[in-house]
Amino acid sequence: MTDPIYPWLDPIEVRRLAEGLMRPHREPTMTVEDAGFDQGFVGYATERPALPMVAQPPFPPQQNQQVVQPPASARVMSQPEQPATPEPTRARGPFLDRITRFRDWMHSQFSATGIFILDREGAVIFDESNHGRLHFLARSLALASRRQGAAGGNVHVKIGAGATLEVIPVDTAYGCLVLGAVVPDALPPASVAAVMDALALVSSPPNGNS
Amino acid sequence: MISIAVSSQKGGVGKTTVSINLAHAFARAGVRTLLVDADPQGSVGLSLTRQSRLLTGFYDYLADPGIPLERLIVPTRLETFSLVASGQASDYEAGGAGMGAHLARVRAFLRSVAARGFDLCLIDTAAGLFGVTGDVIASSDAIMIPQQAEPLGIRSVPKLLEGLNRLRVMNPRLSVLGVCLTMVQHDLAESTEAAAALRQLLPPEMVFQTQIPRDGLFVRASARGLPIGVLEDGAGAQAVFDALRSEIEMKLEPNGARG
Repeated sequence: MTDPIYPWLDPIEVRRLAEGLMRPHREPTMTVEDAGFDQGFVGYATERPALPMVAQPPFPPQQNQQVVQPPASARVMSQPEQPATPEPTRARGPFLDRITRFRDWMHSQFSATGIFILDREGAVIFDESNHGRLHFLARSLALASRRQGAAGGNVHVKIGAGATLEVIPVDTAYGCLVLGAVVPDALPPASVAAVMDALALVSSPPNGNS
Repeated sequence: MISIAVSSQKGGVGKTTVSINLAHAFARAGVRTLLVDADPQGSVGLSLTRQSRLLTGFYDYLADPGIPLERLIVPTRLETFSLVASGQASDYEAGGAGMGAHLARVRAFLRSVAARGFDLCLIDTAAGLFGVTGDVIASSDAIMIPQQAEPLGIRSVPKLLEGLNRLRVMNPRLSVLGVCLTMVQHDLAESTEAAAALRQLLPPEMVFQTQIPRDGLFVRASARGLPIGVLEDGAGAQAVFDALRSEIEMKLEPNGARG
Protein backbone atom coordinates (compact mmCIF):
# COMPACT_ATOMS: atom_id res chain seq x y z
CA MET A 1 0.00 0.00 0.00
CA THR A 2 0.98 3.58 -0.41
CA ASP A 3 4.11 3.97 1.68
CA PRO A 4 4.30 7.77 1.40
CA ILE A 5 0.92 8.08 3.17
CA TYR A 6 0.66 5.44 5.86
CA PRO A 7 3.78 6.33 7.81
CA TRP A 8 2.11 9.68 8.48
CA LEU A 9 -1.07 8.20 9.84
CA ASP A 10 -2.28 5.93 12.59
CA PRO A 11 -4.83 3.89 10.61
CA ILE A 12 -6.48 2.46 13.73
CA GLU A 13 -6.95 5.89 15.25
CA VAL A 14 -8.19 7.35 11.96
CA ARG A 15 -10.70 4.52 11.63
CA ARG A 16 -11.88 5.04 15.20
CA LEU A 17 -12.45 8.75 14.62
CA ALA A 18 -14.17 8.12 11.31
CA GLU A 19 -16.49 5.44 12.65
CA GLY A 20 -17.48 7.73 15.49
CA LEU A 21 -18.48 10.36 12.98
CA MET A 22 -20.52 7.98 10.87
CA ARG A 23 -22.70 6.80 13.73
CA PRO A 24 -26.16 8.34 13.64
CA HIS A 25 -26.44 11.29 15.91
CA ARG A 26 -27.60 10.72 19.42
CA GLU A 27 -30.38 12.84 20.72
CA PRO A 28 -28.92 15.43 23.03
CA THR A 29 -29.02 14.10 26.57
CA MET A 30 -29.56 17.55 27.94
CA THR A 31 -30.84 20.89 26.83
CA VAL A 32 -28.69 23.94 26.37
CA GLU A 33 -29.88 25.20 29.71
CA ASP A 34 -29.21 21.85 31.38
CA ALA A 35 -25.66 21.96 30.14
CA GLY A 36 -25.14 25.20 31.97
CA PHE A 37 -25.45 27.46 28.96
CA ASP A 38 -27.60 30.49 28.75
CA GLN A 39 -29.15 31.68 25.52
CA GLY A 40 -25.95 33.49 24.67
CA PHE A 41 -24.27 30.14 24.03
CA VAL A 42 -21.63 30.01 21.41
CA GLY A 43 -19.03 27.33 21.00
CA TYR A 44 -15.41 27.02 20.10
CA ALA A 45 -12.57 24.55 20.05
CA THR A 46 -8.85 25.23 19.73
CA GLU A 47 -5.69 23.29 19.23
CA ARG A 48 -3.33 22.22 21.95
CA PRO A 49 -0.87 25.01 22.74
CA ALA A 50 2.85 24.47 22.40
CA LEU A 51 4.08 27.55 24.18
CA PRO A 52 6.10 27.61 27.39
CA MET A 53 4.78 28.32 30.85
CA VAL A 54 4.56 32.02 31.64
CA ALA A 55 2.93 32.21 35.07
CA GLN A 56 4.25 31.12 38.43
CA PRO A 57 2.95 27.93 40.07
CA PRO A 58 0.27 28.28 42.75
CA PHE A 59 0.84 28.46 46.50
CA PRO A 60 -1.39 29.68 49.37
CA PRO A 61 -3.83 27.00 50.60
CA GLN A 62 -7.51 27.32 51.58
CA GLN A 63 -10.24 25.00 52.87
CA ASN A 64 -13.90 24.04 52.36
CA GLN A 65 -13.85 22.41 48.96
CA GLN A 66 -15.12 19.03 47.89
CA VAL A 67 -12.02 17.01 47.17
CA VAL A 68 -11.86 13.37 46.18
CA GLN A 69 -8.58 11.60 45.75
CA PRO A 70 -8.11 10.04 42.35
CA PRO A 71 -9.38 6.45 42.47
CA ALA A 72 -6.96 3.58 42.65
CA SER A 73 -7.95 2.56 39.14
CA ALA A 74 -6.84 5.92 37.86
CA ARG A 75 -3.54 5.62 39.64
CA VAL A 76 -2.65 2.34 38.00
CA MET A 77 -3.69 3.46 34.54
CA SER A 78 -0.60 5.55 34.17
CA GLN A 79 2.76 5.24 35.80
CA PRO A 80 3.92 8.36 37.63
CA GLU A 81 6.17 10.47 35.48
CA GLN A 82 8.48 13.32 36.18
CA PRO A 83 6.46 16.56 36.00
CA ALA A 84 7.40 18.90 33.21
CA THR A 85 7.62 21.88 35.54
CA PRO A 86 10.15 22.26 38.34
CA GLU A 87 9.35 21.28 41.91
CA PRO A 88 8.39 24.20 44.12
CA THR A 89 10.99 25.01 46.72
CA ARG A 90 8.69 24.87 49.75
CA ALA A 91 6.95 21.79 51.13
CA ARG A 92 3.88 21.07 49.00
CA GLY A 93 1.59 19.52 51.62
CA PRO A 94 -1.21 17.01 51.05
CA PHE A 95 -3.31 16.77 47.91
CA LEU A 96 -6.11 18.94 49.27
CA ASP A 97 -3.73 21.78 50.02
CA ARG A 98 -2.06 21.56 46.68
CA ILE A 99 -5.29 21.52 44.72
CA THR A 100 -6.77 24.43 46.67
CA ARG A 101 -3.59 26.40 46.08
CA PHE A 102 -4.01 25.63 42.43
CA ARG A 103 -7.63 26.81 42.64
CA ASP A 104 -6.57 30.08 44.24
CA TRP A 105 -3.88 30.54 41.66
CA MET A 106 -6.46 30.09 38.91
CA HIS A 107 -8.63 32.70 40.58
CA SER A 108 -5.85 35.23 40.96
CA GLN A 109 -4.05 34.70 37.66
CA PHE A 110 -6.97 34.17 35.32
CA SER A 111 -9.98 35.53 37.21
CA ALA A 112 -11.51 32.07 37.24
CA THR A 113 -14.85 32.08 39.03
CA GLY A 114 -14.91 28.36 39.48
CA ILE A 115 -12.99 25.24 38.62
CA PHE A 116 -13.57 21.52 38.68
CA ILE A 117 -11.38 18.55 37.93
CA LEU A 118 -12.55 15.21 36.54
CA ASP A 119 -10.63 12.00 36.06
CA ARG A 120 -10.63 10.15 32.76
CA GLU A 121 -13.70 8.17 33.82
CA GLY A 122 -15.63 11.36 34.48
CA ALA A 123 -15.49 11.06 38.26
CA VAL A 124 -15.19 14.33 40.15
CA ILE A 125 -11.78 14.85 41.73
CA PHE A 126 -12.44 18.41 42.80
CA ASP A 127 -15.37 20.74 42.46
CA GLU A 128 -15.66 24.02 44.20
CA SER A 129 -19.42 23.90 43.59
CA ASN A 130 -22.04 25.25 41.19
CA HIS A 131 -20.56 23.72 38.07
CA GLY A 132 -21.99 20.22 38.22
CA ARG A 133 -24.06 20.81 35.10
CA LEU A 134 -20.89 21.49 33.12
CA HIS A 135 -19.18 18.20 33.99
CA PHE A 136 -20.78 16.21 31.20
CA LEU A 137 -20.03 18.87 28.63
CA ALA A 138 -16.42 19.20 29.75
CA ARG A 139 -15.82 15.49 29.58
CA SER A 140 -17.48 15.20 26.17
CA LEU A 141 -15.37 18.00 24.79
CA ALA A 142 -12.21 16.58 26.28
CA LEU A 143 -12.89 13.16 24.81
CA ALA A 144 -13.74 14.62 21.42
CA SER A 145 -10.49 16.54 21.32
CA ARG A 146 -8.34 13.67 22.46
CA ARG A 147 -6.41 11.39 20.16
CA GLN A 148 -5.60 7.89 21.21
CA GLY A 149 -2.09 7.76 22.60
CA ALA A 150 -1.71 11.51 22.54
CA ALA A 151 -2.69 14.38 24.74
CA GLY A 152 -5.88 16.17 23.89
CA GLY A 153 -6.11 19.82 23.07
CA ASN A 154 -7.81 22.43 25.14
CA VAL A 155 -11.29 23.47 24.19
CA HIS A 156 -13.24 26.49 25.19
CA VAL A 157 -16.93 27.16 25.04
CA LYS A 158 -18.57 30.47 25.65
CA ILE A 159 -21.32 29.71 28.13
CA GLY A 160 -22.75 33.16 28.53
CA ALA A 161 -22.01 36.84 28.59
CA GLY A 162 -18.56 37.21 30.11
CA ALA A 163 -18.21 33.53 30.95
CA THR A 164 -16.24 30.92 29.07
CA LEU A 165 -15.72 27.32 30.09
CA GLU A 166 -12.12 26.40 29.39
CA VAL A 167 -11.64 22.63 29.24
CA ILE A 168 -8.04 21.50 29.53
CA PRO A 169 -7.07 17.82 29.50
CA VAL A 170 -3.83 17.35 31.42
CA ASP A 171 -1.67 14.24 31.61
CA THR A 172 -0.70 13.73 35.22
CA ALA A 173 0.72 11.02 37.40
CA TYR A 174 -2.89 9.88 37.93
CA GLY A 175 -3.61 9.63 34.24
CA CYS A 176 -5.46 12.21 32.23
CA LEU A 177 -7.36 14.73 34.34
CA VAL A 178 -9.82 17.14 32.80
CA LEU A 179 -9.79 20.64 34.21
CA GLY A 180 -12.86 22.79 33.73
CA ALA A 181 -12.45 26.46 34.55
CA VAL A 182 -15.02 29.21 34.18
CA VAL A 183 -13.09 32.28 33.09
CA PRO A 184 -14.14 35.64 31.64
CA ASP A 185 -12.50 34.99 28.27
CA ALA A 186 -10.79 32.10 26.52
CA LEU A 187 -7.24 31.65 27.77
CA PRO A 188 -4.40 32.35 25.36
CA PRO A 189 -2.17 29.40 24.47
CA ALA A 190 0.66 30.45 26.79
CA SER A 191 -1.73 30.59 29.73
CA VAL A 192 -3.18 27.20 28.85
CA ALA A 193 0.33 25.78 28.79
CA ALA A 194 0.99 27.30 32.21
CA VAL A 195 -2.21 25.84 33.62
CA MET A 196 -1.34 22.41 32.23
CA ASP A 197 2.10 22.52 33.78
CA ALA A 198 0.74 23.75 37.10
CA LEU A 199 -1.96 21.08 37.33
CA ALA A 200 0.50 18.37 36.38
CA LEU A 201 2.78 19.63 39.10
CA VAL A 202 0.21 19.81 41.89
CA SER A 203 -1.18 16.42 40.88
CA SER A 204 2.15 14.66 41.05
CA PRO A 205 2.55 12.68 44.28
CA PRO A 206 5.54 13.83 46.35
CA ASN A 207 7.88 10.89 46.78
CA GLY A 208 5.39 8.69 45.01
CA ASN A 209 2.55 9.38 47.51
CA SER A 210 -0.25 11.92 47.47
CA MET B 1 -34.95 22.42 4.06
CA ILE B 2 -31.57 20.83 4.46
CA SER B 3 -28.29 22.68 4.74
CA ILE B 4 -25.05 21.11 3.60
CA ALA B 5 -21.65 22.62 4.31
CA VAL B 6 -18.97 21.82 1.76
CA SER B 7 -15.81 22.05 3.81
CA SER B 8 -12.29 20.73 4.11
CA GLN B 9 -9.32 21.01 6.39
CA LYS B 10 -7.05 21.87 3.49
CA GLY B 11 -7.45 24.51 0.81
CA GLY B 12 -7.31 23.99 -2.93
CA VAL B 13 -9.13 20.66 -2.92
CA GLY B 14 -11.94 21.67 -5.23
CA LYS B 15 -14.61 22.81 -2.78
CA THR B 16 -15.88 25.56 -5.03
CA THR B 17 -15.98 23.36 -8.12
CA VAL B 18 -17.90 20.70 -6.21
CA SER B 19 -20.23 23.27 -4.68
CA ILE B 20 -21.13 25.00 -7.94
CA ASN B 21 -21.67 21.88 -9.97
CA LEU B 22 -23.39 19.91 -7.25
CA ALA B 23 -25.76 22.79 -6.55
CA HIS B 24 -26.47 23.00 -10.27
CA ALA B 25 -27.15 19.26 -10.37
CA PHE B 26 -29.68 19.55 -7.57
CA ALA B 27 -31.32 22.58 -9.19
CA ARG B 28 -31.58 20.77 -12.54
CA ALA B 29 -33.36 17.97 -10.71
CA GLY B 30 -35.98 20.44 -9.52
CA VAL B 31 -34.64 21.00 -6.03
CA ARG B 32 -34.96 24.67 -5.09
CA THR B 33 -31.31 25.31 -4.35
CA LEU B 34 -29.46 28.22 -2.81
CA LEU B 35 -25.69 28.16 -3.23
CA VAL B 36 -23.99 30.31 -0.61
CA ASP B 37 -20.44 31.54 -0.93
CA ALA B 38 -19.09 31.53 2.62
CA ASP B 39 -15.50 31.80 1.47
CA PRO B 40 -14.10 35.33 1.89
CA GLN B 41 -12.15 34.77 -1.29
CA GLY B 42 -15.52 34.72 -3.01
CA SER B 43 -14.75 31.98 -5.47
CA VAL B 44 -18.35 31.06 -6.19
CA GLY B 45 -19.20 34.63 -6.92
CA LEU B 46 -16.12 35.10 -9.02
CA SER B 47 -16.95 31.97 -10.96
CA LEU B 48 -20.60 32.63 -11.62
CA THR B 49 -21.19 36.36 -11.51
CA ARG B 50 -19.08 39.06 -13.07
CA GLN B 51 -20.14 41.71 -10.59
CA SER B 52 -19.70 39.58 -7.46
CA ARG B 53 -17.53 42.16 -5.72
CA LEU B 54 -20.37 44.64 -5.94
CA LEU B 55 -22.95 42.31 -4.47
CA THR B 56 -24.11 42.36 -0.90
CA GLY B 57 -23.39 38.91 0.41
CA PHE B 58 -23.05 36.43 3.21
CA TYR B 59 -20.40 38.26 5.21
CA ASP B 60 -22.32 41.51 4.95
CA TYR B 61 -25.31 39.66 6.41
CA LEU B 62 -23.19 38.42 9.30
CA ALA B 63 -21.81 41.88 9.97
CA ASP B 64 -25.07 43.81 9.68
CA PRO B 65 -28.26 42.47 11.30
CA GLY B 66 -30.22 45.05 9.33
CA ILE B 67 -29.64 43.35 5.99
CA PRO B 68 -32.51 41.07 4.96
CA LEU B 69 -31.93 37.81 3.10
CA GLU B 70 -33.82 39.15 0.09
CA ARG B 71 -31.06 41.64 -0.62
CA LEU B 72 -28.52 38.83 -0.94
CA ILE B 73 -30.25 36.44 -3.29
CA VAL B 74 -29.03 36.48 -6.89
CA PRO B 75 -31.32 34.57 -9.27
CA THR B 76 -29.95 32.65 -12.23
CA ARG B 77 -31.43 31.64 -15.55
CA LEU B 78 -32.40 28.36 -13.93
CA GLU B 79 -35.46 29.13 -11.86
CA THR B 80 -34.59 26.66 -9.11
CA PHE B 81 -31.00 27.89 -8.74
CA SER B 82 -30.04 31.02 -6.77
CA LEU B 83 -26.83 32.32 -5.32
CA VAL B 84 -25.62 34.33 -2.38
CA ALA B 85 -22.22 35.90 -2.98
CA SER B 86 -19.54 36.24 -0.35
CA GLY B 87 -20.07 39.98 -0.18
CA GLN B 88 -17.90 42.95 0.44
CA ALA B 89 -17.25 42.48 4.15
CA SER B 90 -14.45 40.07 4.92
CA ASP B 91 -14.46 37.65 7.82
CA TYR B 92 -12.29 40.13 9.71
CA GLU B 93 -14.75 42.96 9.19
CA ALA B 94 -17.47 40.57 10.30
CA GLY B 95 -15.81 40.12 13.65
CA GLY B 96 -12.44 38.41 13.28
CA ALA B 97 -11.39 34.81 13.29
CA GLY B 98 -12.99 33.64 16.53
CA MET B 99 -15.36 30.75 16.10
CA GLY B 100 -18.73 31.03 17.75
CA ALA B 101 -18.95 34.76 17.22
CA HIS B 102 -21.39 34.37 14.34
CA LEU B 103 -23.19 31.21 15.31
CA ALA B 104 -26.46 32.94 16.10
CA ARG B 105 -26.31 34.98 12.91
CA VAL B 106 -25.50 31.96 10.74
CA ARG B 107 -28.44 30.12 12.23
CA ALA B 108 -30.69 33.11 11.61
CA PHE B 109 -29.50 33.09 8.00
CA LEU B 110 -30.42 29.43 7.58
CA ARG B 111 -33.82 29.96 9.16
CA SER B 112 -34.47 32.77 6.70
CA VAL B 113 -33.40 30.56 3.79
CA ALA B 114 -35.82 27.86 4.92
CA ALA B 115 -38.61 30.40 5.33
CA ARG B 116 -37.92 31.66 1.81
CA GLY B 117 -38.91 28.23 0.50
CA PHE B 118 -35.59 26.74 -0.55
CA ASP B 119 -35.23 22.96 -0.33
CA LEU B 120 -31.46 22.95 -0.17
CA CYS B 121 -28.85 25.40 1.04
CA LEU B 122 -25.39 24.39 -0.10
CA ILE B 123 -22.64 26.39 1.57
CA ASP B 124 -19.16 26.64 0.10
CA THR B 125 -16.94 27.43 3.08
CA ALA B 126 -13.40 28.64 3.46
CA ALA B 127 -10.75 26.00 4.20
CA GLY B 128 -10.27 24.94 7.80
CA LEU B 129 -12.77 24.03 10.49
CA PHE B 130 -12.60 27.19 12.56
CA GLY B 131 -13.88 30.75 12.50
CA VAL B 132 -16.98 31.38 10.43
CA THR B 133 -16.53 28.00 8.74
CA GLY B 134 -16.82 26.34 12.14
CA ASP B 135 -19.98 28.31 12.81
CA VAL B 136 -21.43 27.22 9.47
CA ILE B 137 -20.66 23.56 10.18
CA ALA B 138 -22.00 23.87 13.71
CA SER B 139 -25.25 25.19 12.22
CA SER B 140 -25.67 22.88 9.23
CA ASP B 141 -27.58 19.63 8.91
CA ALA B 142 -24.81 17.88 7.05
CA ILE B 143 -21.28 18.21 5.80
CA MET B 144 -19.49 16.81 2.78
CA ILE B 145 -15.75 16.95 2.47
CA PRO B 146 -13.99 17.24 -0.89
CA GLN B 147 -10.54 15.69 -0.63
CA GLN B 148 -7.89 15.96 -3.30
CA ALA B 149 -6.56 12.55 -4.35
CA GLU B 150 -2.91 13.18 -3.59
CA PRO B 151 -0.71 12.01 -0.71
CA LEU B 152 -0.30 15.35 1.02
CA GLY B 153 -4.04 15.87 1.14
CA ILE B 154 -4.67 12.44 2.60
CA ARG B 155 -2.26 13.20 5.42
CA SER B 156 -4.56 15.97 6.56
CA VAL B 157 -7.38 13.47 7.16
CA PRO B 158 -6.63 12.84 10.88
CA LYS B 159 -6.75 16.56 11.55
CA LEU B 160 -10.00 16.79 9.65
CA LEU B 161 -11.56 13.96 11.65
CA GLU B 162 -10.45 15.43 14.96
CA GLY B 163 -11.94 18.77 14.02
CA LEU B 164 -15.21 17.20 12.93
CA ASN B 165 -15.44 15.23 16.16
CA ARG B 166 -15.12 18.45 18.12
CA LEU B 167 -17.70 20.23 16.00
CA ARG B 168 -20.06 17.32 16.41
CA VAL B 169 -20.04 17.90 20.13
CA MET B 170 -21.34 21.38 19.35
CA ASN B 171 -23.75 20.10 16.73
CA PRO B 172 -24.70 16.49 17.56
CA ARG B 173 -27.19 16.41 14.69
CA LEU B 174 -24.49 17.03 12.10
CA SER B 175 -24.67 14.27 9.52
CA VAL B 176 -21.32 13.48 7.93
CA LEU B 177 -22.15 12.63 4.36
CA GLY B 178 -18.60 11.67 3.62
CA VAL B 179 -15.43 12.45 1.77
CA CYS B 180 -15.53 13.03 -1.97
CA LEU B 181 -12.30 12.39 -3.83
CA THR B 182 -11.50 15.20 -6.23
CA MET B 183 -8.93 15.94 -8.92
CA VAL B 184 -8.46 12.22 -9.45
CA GLN B 185 -5.95 11.54 -12.21
CA HIS B 186 -6.24 8.00 -13.45
CA ASP B 187 -3.05 8.33 -15.46
CA LEU B 188 -1.00 9.24 -12.39
CA ALA B 189 -0.03 6.44 -10.03
CA GLU B 190 0.34 8.73 -7.01
CA SER B 191 -3.20 9.99 -7.49
CA THR B 192 -4.84 6.59 -7.86
CA GLU B 193 -2.77 5.19 -4.98
CA ALA B 194 -3.80 8.07 -2.75
CA ALA B 195 -7.43 7.47 -3.64
CA ALA B 196 -7.08 3.77 -2.88
CA ALA B 197 -5.33 4.51 0.40
CA LEU B 198 -8.13 6.80 1.53
CA ARG B 199 -10.74 4.20 0.66
CA GLN B 200 -8.85 1.61 2.68
CA LEU B 201 -8.33 4.01 5.57
CA LEU B 202 -11.91 5.16 6.06
CA PRO B 203 -15.13 3.19 6.50
CA PRO B 204 -16.67 2.51 3.07
CA GLU B 205 -19.78 4.52 3.87
CA MET B 206 -17.61 7.56 4.58
CA VAL B 207 -16.19 7.81 1.07
CA PHE B 208 -18.44 8.66 -1.86
CA GLN B 209 -18.32 6.16 -4.69
CA THR B 210 -18.40 9.06 -7.11
CA GLN B 211 -15.02 10.62 -7.78
CA ILE B 212 -14.41 13.95 -9.45
CA PRO B 213 -11.73 13.68 -12.12
CA ARG B 214 -9.22 16.38 -12.92
CA ASP B 215 -10.54 17.77 -16.17
CA GLY B 216 -9.77 20.80 -18.28
CA LEU B 217 -13.50 21.28 -18.67
CA PHE B 218 -13.66 22.69 -15.15
CA VAL B 219 -11.19 25.41 -16.08
CA ARG B 220 -13.16 26.24 -19.20
CA ALA B 221 -16.42 26.34 -17.29
CA SER B 222 -14.93 28.62 -14.67
CA ALA B 223 -13.51 30.92 -17.35
CA ARG B 224 -16.95 31.29 -18.87
CA GLY B 225 -18.68 31.70 -15.51
CA LEU B 226 -20.83 28.60 -15.94
CA PRO B 227 -21.51 25.29 -14.24
CA ILE B 228 -19.84 22.55 -16.23
CA GLY B 229 -23.14 20.98 -17.21
CA VAL B 230 -23.99 24.06 -19.23
CA LEU B 231 -21.02 23.63 -21.57
CA GLU B 232 -21.72 22.06 -24.94
CA ASP B 233 -19.44 19.13 -24.16
CA GLY B 234 -20.17 19.07 -20.44
CA ALA B 235 -22.70 16.24 -20.39
CA GLY B 236 -20.16 13.68 -19.20
CA ALA B 237 -18.99 15.83 -16.33
CA GLN B 238 -22.57 16.70 -15.46
CA ALA B 239 -23.29 12.98 -15.18
CA VAL B 240 -20.59 12.76 -12.51
CA PHE B 241 -22.31 15.41 -10.43
CA ASP B 242 -25.71 13.83 -11.04
CA ALA B 243 -24.26 10.63 -9.58
CA LEU B 244 -22.91 12.56 -6.61
CA ARG B 245 -26.32 14.14 -6.09
CA SER B 246 -27.96 10.72 -6.12
CA GLU B 247 -25.52 9.42 -3.54
CA ILE B 248 -26.24 12.37 -1.28
CA GLU B 249 -29.97 11.88 -1.62
CA MET B 250 -29.59 8.23 -0.65
CA LYS B 251 -27.47 9.17 2.35
CA LEU B 252 -29.92 11.77 3.53
CA GLU B 253 -33.15 9.87 3.19
CA PRO B 254 -32.42 6.97 5.55
CA ASN B 255 -31.45 9.47 8.22
CA GLY B 256 -34.59 11.49 7.71
CA ALA B 257 -32.35 14.52 7.60
CA ARG B 258 -34.28 16.08 4.82
CA GLY B 259 -37.11 18.18 6.07
